Amino acid sequence: MSAITTPVAQRPVNWRLPYKGNVGMACLIIAESAIFTIFVVAYLFYLGKSLTGPTPREVLEAPLFYTICLLSSSLTIHLASRFLERGKPGAFLALWFLTIVLGGLFLFGTGQEWHRLIYERGLTISTNLFGTTYYSLVGLHATHVTVGLLMLGIVLLLGLAGRVGQEHSARVDVLSLYWHFVDAVWVVVFTVVYVLGR
Amino acid sequence: MSSDAIAVQTAGVSADRTWLQTLHEWVTTVDHKRLGVLYVFYALIFLVIGGIEATIIRIQLMRAHNDFVSPQVFNRMFTLHGTTMIFFVIMPFMFGFANYLVPLMIGARDMAFPRLNAFSFWLTALGGTLLYFSIVGGSGLYGAGSAPDVGWWAYAPLTSRAFSPGHSADYWTIAVLVSGFGSIGTAVNLVATVLSMRCPGMKLSRMPLFAWLTLVMSGLVLISISPLSAAQIMLLVDRYLGGHFFDTQAGGSATLWMHFFWIFGHPEVYILVIPAFAFASEIIPVFSRKPIFGYPVMVGATVSIGFVSISVWAHHMFTIGMTSYSNSFFVLTTMIIAVPTGIKIFNWLGTMWGGKLQFKTPMLFCIGFLFQFLIAGLTGIMLGAAPFNWQLSGSYFVVAHFHYMIVGAILFCIFGAIYYWYPKITGRMLNESLGKLHFWLFVIGFHLTFDVMHVPGILGMPRRIYTYEPGRGWDTLNMIITIGAFIQGIAILLFLANLVFSYFGGSKAGNDPWDGWTLEWSVSSPPPVYNFASIPAVASRRPLWDLKHPEDPDTHYD
Amino acid sequence: MATLLSAEQMKQNSRAPGEVEVSAPTAWPLVLAFGFTLVFAGLLTSASVSVLGAVLALAGCVGWFREVFPHEHEEVVPVVLREVSIATKRRVVERLPVATEQVRAWLPLETYPISAGVKGGLAGSVAMAVLACAYGLLRTGSIWYPINLLGAVVYAPSEVPSAAQFNSFHPIIFFIALILHIVTSILVGLLYGAMLPMFARHPIVLGGLIAPVLWSGLLYSIMNILNPVLGSHIDWVWFMASQFAFGIVAGLVVMRQSRVPTRENLPFVLRVGIEAPGLMPPRENGEKRP
Repeated sequence: MSAITTPVAQRPVNWRLPYKGNVGMACLIIAESAIFTIFVVAYLFYLGKSLTGPTPREVLEAPLFYTICLLSSSLTIHLASRFLERGKPGAFLALWFLTIVLGGLFLFGTGQEWHRLIYERGLTISTNLFGTTYYSLVGLHATHVTVGLLMLGIVLLLGLAGRVGQEHSARVDVLSLYWHFVDAVWVVVFTVVYVLGR
Repeated sequence: MSSDAIAVQTAGVSADRTWLQTLHEWVTTVDHKRLGVLYVFYALIFLVIGGIEATIIRIQLMRAHNDFVSPQVFNRMFTLHGTTMIFFVIMPFMFGFANYLVPLMIGARDMAFPRLNAFSFWLTALGGTLLYFSIVGGSGLYGAGSAPDVGWWAYAPLTSRAFSPGHSADYWTIAVLVSGFGSIGTAVNLVATVLSMRCPGMKLSRMPLFAWLTLVMSGLVLISISPLSAAQIMLLVDRYLGGHFFDTQAGGSATLWMHFFWIFGHPEVYILVIPAFAFASEIIPVFSRKPIFGYPVMVGATVSIGFVSISVWAHHMFTIGMTSYSNSFFVLTTMIIAVPTGIKIFNWLGTMWGGKLQFKTPMLFCIGFLFQFLIAGLTGIMLGAAPFNWQLSGSYFVVAHFHYMIVGAILFCIFGAIYYWYPKITGRMLNESLGKLHFWLFVIGFHLTFDVMHVPGILGMPRRIYTYEPGRGWDTLNMIITIGAFIQGIAILLFLANLVFSYFGGSKAGNDPWDGWTLEWSVSSPPPVYNFASIPAVASRRPLWDLKHPEDPDTHYD
Repeated sequence: MATLLSAEQMKQNSRAPGEVEVSAPTAWPLVLAFGFTLVFAGLLTSASVSVLGAVLALAGCVGWFREVFPHEHEEVVPVVLREVSIATKRRVVERLPVATEQVRAWLPLETYPISAGVKGGLAGSVAMAVLACAYGLLRTGSIWYPINLLGAVVYAPSEVPSAAQFNSFHPIIFFIALILHIVTSILVGLLYGAMLPMFARHPIVLGGLIAPVLWSGLLYSIMNILNPVLGSHIDWVWFMASQFAFGIVAGLVVMRQSRVPTRENLPFVLRVGIEAPGLMPPRENGEKRP
């Protein structure tokens, strides 16, 4: 047989594979969902099992305004990445900034609520089972929001320096996928903590 | 960019580099092949450490009322042995081989995220180092000690501050948590590689089974390691911030930890065994000179094992007193998982049936795997039946069962894989006679230890006891088990010696020593940094068969 | 989101290039991993370790980020071209032209459906019953004798009717025997239908010879456990004869059924019943498909 350097086979004309960034982010989201599932299960399992007060009904108020902020940031980030794809960096930056502001508002809301719970209601992570599960679950979500905001902020700075162009739109899409996930998790956390939990 | 200088350095001859330069290259590498080798090297080191711990356990149990080690040290030994072998031996082995082989098999130049790959490896490696820092840091093995002693599943409330003062339980939690993040990173990387890096023509239906099974294993890592990480974060909240997740005094539940742990724990078994299946699915066809029997069924069976394995966890917990409905559910799912597993065994047999078998060392290990995996599966079915489990849970029967699985099935496949791919990785063949000696010694030692170990379990010997009363009929059996353990130890030393001496003095392997069919055998041994000078294209499941047999290629039947 | 290899890339790939770009080695992932581990190790030792870890982790993040942005840092590796021969090391065999086209396995293209087996089983049951009743008539002068023997299977040995009663008609026993006979025949027919694809060319050999011998052998060994009454009265020559009658009639009935195409050679989508045009692309070399 003649010497062949590489296996020769007819190359398919259209060879499409999914973008690795999206696959990687999807995998990360699957893993993160499993983590959140465990925390949500723990929250639901311990509902009403605290031996001492305060109970969720006594102290929790649904943060509707901040929830609307976070959920609408999903829309703004989606529009921002569409504008980047179409090559309109100005509109992209404006909407991206709006996303960060909305996310920041949400974090501020969480901080305000925690301050109220800790200093006015005396609920800390070691007070009772409700405190433990509540702060862990909401804190885990807030951590994800913070990480997301940091990454959004870096993109904003680079964008202001004029370093983010149309060619980066695939990478920016990956980031917005993460942000959508953070929002979707909040829907679950909100339902569990503020709707079912009370 | 100073890339030219680096390029010359990489391509240059290895002789004129100092050892410091070589070390620097290995430490900063992002090449999937080097990281794969690092994983395997690291796993071999921990295999020796875990083996020494097993030997200490066996010497202590050799005869009744032995005082080779104190009860406290014994507890630390079995905790470290279990944690090491699962998290720092078998998983790195599997990740190492997946790292090395998947890009080569699917015709890619590297993993999807090379830097994430390096990051994940170092997290795993540093996690293992942190676990063993517990022995040297603080009071280590003695007295109150800082080495973990809560068992590898760290049941609550034993891990609470009241029962585990100091940092011993924290060392277990944090070491495993850190390496768990590394595992998730590698799994993300492997899935992205398999889905997005395939060479033209490498459809999912043409991927080598190894790549398919790695994909399923990585998916399982994503959905099962993260629950463990979540539970460990809760444990840290309990221990550091005064939370009450697993604090029974404040209404917390110890059972919840068991559920969370085994939601991770049982899929973990399949994370370990599915790569072993992958090795067998590559090795058995080549040494039977036949294509794998029932390729689509093998894929389907693996995927269904993956799915079913996440709904069987509570069969580890029959003795905690669940409702009869839960018991029946978990008994049934456990029985169901035997079906796809049985299909796989039949398909391997179907591959060997009528083939021209060559009993080289890798094949010997795979045949040993088939027998022992069957028996391990059968004792698994026995333990999966709730009433039987009530009788024998927590006895040496369970220990024998899962060691049959982990040593008899998984470790045998790992040995087979090392003998099979060592020529590709180093360019040298492993010594065949030493390999056969290793196989037979290990088989004898294995059966002496773990066949016999079922009996004291049935006679009522509980696991994790540091000593026992004489005259219960356990003495002779335990002596035989320890003798078997020593024979296995000798076999492993032979194997390590073979690895070292063959690296320097083994016969040259050439590109394709086994007459294989997957793409990794088409490149030189060891492969160049870029794997493939030009990206190959494939048209069937066995691209090299097509090239070797142009008169009867697979493409006609694909 | 999908990337498409451009025509240019494809052309580039088809020839071996002189040099290849691979990701450059970097220490930043190691620094980040080390920092990350130290942050946690600080929980076990002292807070200063955590601070050090956080600093390292931050440095690692920045370094890593600069590694991939704005452009991924790559190094150029020259390709060492080597002649690689991909050839099998074992004997290359000449292939005999047994057919115009070589096929590795002969799978039957058509076979009998399972329902053929069931129909055959039912037809065979009639033949068997006729023969068994003929035996009863010749041997004891009563067609009820074999029926009563079969029906006695459900009775405990003490309640079995006496030998004299075997020649008369008992409605309950008749009913039991009838049900048993039909159910068994259908089950054997099903088994027969399932075995048919293995012996697709010779239904008579399967039905008339192999199945009765297997079946009779099985019954011979377990009859005393299954039905002690029948076991003590049985005439094995006649029994075998009726089994053969069953098998031959079943085989004949099967042969008269129309065959259906086997589905092993069809693509998966067709086997799961999805029907749409273009599912089976035409083969270039004119290979036949079932």
